[in-house]
Amino acid sequence: MMLTLKQTRQLRTFLLGLLAWAVGLVMFFPIFWMILTSFKTELAAFASPPELFFTPTLENYVEIQQRSGYFSFAWNSVVVSFGSTIIGMLIAVPAAYSMAFYESKRTKSTLLWMLSTKMLPPVGVLMPIYLLCKNTGLLDTRTALVIIYTLINLPIMVWMVYSFFKEIPKDILEAARLDGATPLQEISRVLLPISKGGLASTMLLSLILSWNEAFWSLNLTASKAAPLTALIASYSSPEGLFWAKLSAVSTLACAPILIIGWLSQKQLVRGLSFGAVK
Amino acid sequence: MSTPATDKLRTAAPAASASHPKGRLSRTRVRAAWLFLLPMLVVLLLVAGWPLLRTIWFSFTDASFSTLHEAHFIGLENYLNYDEGEWYGVLADPQWWGAVRNTLFFTLVSVSLELVLGMVFALVLNAQFPGRALVRAAVLIPWAIPTIVSAKMWSWMLHDQFGILNHLLISLGILDTPLAWTANSSLSLWAVVMVDVWKTTPFMALLILAALQMLPSDCYEAARVDGIHPVRVFFRVTLPLITPALLVAVTFRVLDALRVFDVIYVLTSNSADTMSMSVFARQQLVEFQEVGYGSAASTLLFLFIALLTLAWLYLGRKRLQGDL
Repeated sequence: MMLTLKQTRQLRTFLLGLLAWAVGLVMFFPIFWMILTSFKTELAAFASPPELFFTPTLENYVEIQQRSGYFSFAWNSVVVSFGSTIIGMLIAVPAAYSMAFYESKRTKSTLLWMLSTKMLPPVGVLMPIYLLCKNTGLLDTRTALVIIYTLINLPIMVWMVYSFFKEIPKDILEAARLDGATPLQEISRVLLPISKGGLASTMLLSLILSWNEAFWSLNLTASKAAPLTALIASYSSPEGLFWAKLSAVSTLACAPILIIGWLSQKQLVRGLSFGAVK
Repeated sequence: MSTPATDKLRTAAPAASASHPKGRLSRTRVRAAWLFLLPMLVVLLLVAGWPLLRTIWFSFTDASFSTLHEAHFIGLENYLNYDEGEWYGVLADPQWWGAVRNTLFFTLVSVSLELVLGMVFALVLNAQFPGRALVRAAVLIPWAIPTIVSAKMWSWMLHDQFGILNHLLISLGILDTPLAWTANSSLSLWAVVMVDVWKTTPFMALLILAALQMLPSDCYEAARVDGIHPVRVFFRVTLPLITPALLVAVTFRVLDALRVFDVIYVLTSNSADTMSMSVFARQQLVEFQEVGYGSAASTLLFLFIALLTLAWLYLGRKRLQGDL
């Protein structure tokens, strides 16, 4: 049977759609499995063969609060992510403004140099930073994490805000300038409203990067300031006796990202691709 | 910079441009611009410069964690040292070279796989199909969640007795007996690669998708009118056009993969079979408290990455100048 041109195209669309959904399901499966495990009892989690249908329970969620004090870790994560994002934006926006609108010969090399610090292996500065925190009494404090996350994410933030500012026609700023606006007014009255979407993506990226960071939180915090990533890492029994509880903590650690991602898909995609996807 | 539009604005407001000499005004503005840039530059110098120099200094001393203040300068002994017929130092440490091998293998294999799969994902996600937004978001999730979570979840799924993966593979008839993915020395590095590919392919796919979206559609119209096979169109039109974006994405990933830490640390801890250079250096520094020795390893890793970055900056400067 010969297919018409239109039918071939329809078939191709159908097959591509099928492939896309298959890819999506495979990628999502581990997350699905984690969420599923978090509603099992520890016993059911170890059932062999693994069960797809079971009586769901909330006992893991209750127990992670009672036994490991989930909320204090979550609160540390929230404070540290928001703190570093806000401070980062306060530094990144002016820096990107001067790079984007007062470009000099050195601007591009400054940008590249700045981005290259992002490539530093963190272990290369681990000991000095650890000692610095120890000597200043910042070890195991949220302040230390806020400072370090701000520093780590700054290059990416400046770069992203810079690329969003670059898209704004200079005429608009000229016009504001002729109306007598100071640089600060230019930023707050003209640039920020125009690049709202881009700035939101940048903040989202910074929030996610800080939320997910594990190297420094593992090495610089003990109990007081430890965020969720440190709590999850501490579930390290190789025999894996607490998989259901670990799944519950992990699900809660992913939940904000999943929810925010759902609410702001466009900003999330833009942020996570470092502004590449418009 | 003066465009026709701004010139028009200037003539529309002659009073402003006449009463303020342009030179002085723009000079104060340039000064303000530098002032805005200053906090960032200071901050970056502090974060990138000082601690790094300190690490390099430690690497030339015999410092250990408890004797930091009595550390002595010992030259290159931490790197390489010949004493009573034997070589010592990081460069003579078989475990370090194992870590170098693991890191290079991990980088090469995972970045290649991510590139190929990312390309496939991007092409698929670029097509029109029902539920595209949802699928795009679902594919993105592995990249958005904490690495520590994905590594933990995978070590659960890869569990030799209770893991879902062994169960699936056995019931599909692919495996006869369960495999100890993270404990078996010939498999564990592949398990690490698999988890990294799962996590990072979305990032690759996103960057490639961005490049695909910017392609001019008239090339494709022309190719379709001429009846050229889609596979040929891909290799002759699409691939050359997105190569610059691919290079940027691959560079990002390579530099990131070379300092891999958390996937490996969570999945296999300090096992020598999968230990990366970062894991090696951290173990020396934190667990063995050999500050001098660990700093030497850190410095070597830093030098390696820095040289690669410099080479890339040198080669890619021309290409990047258009993009940034």
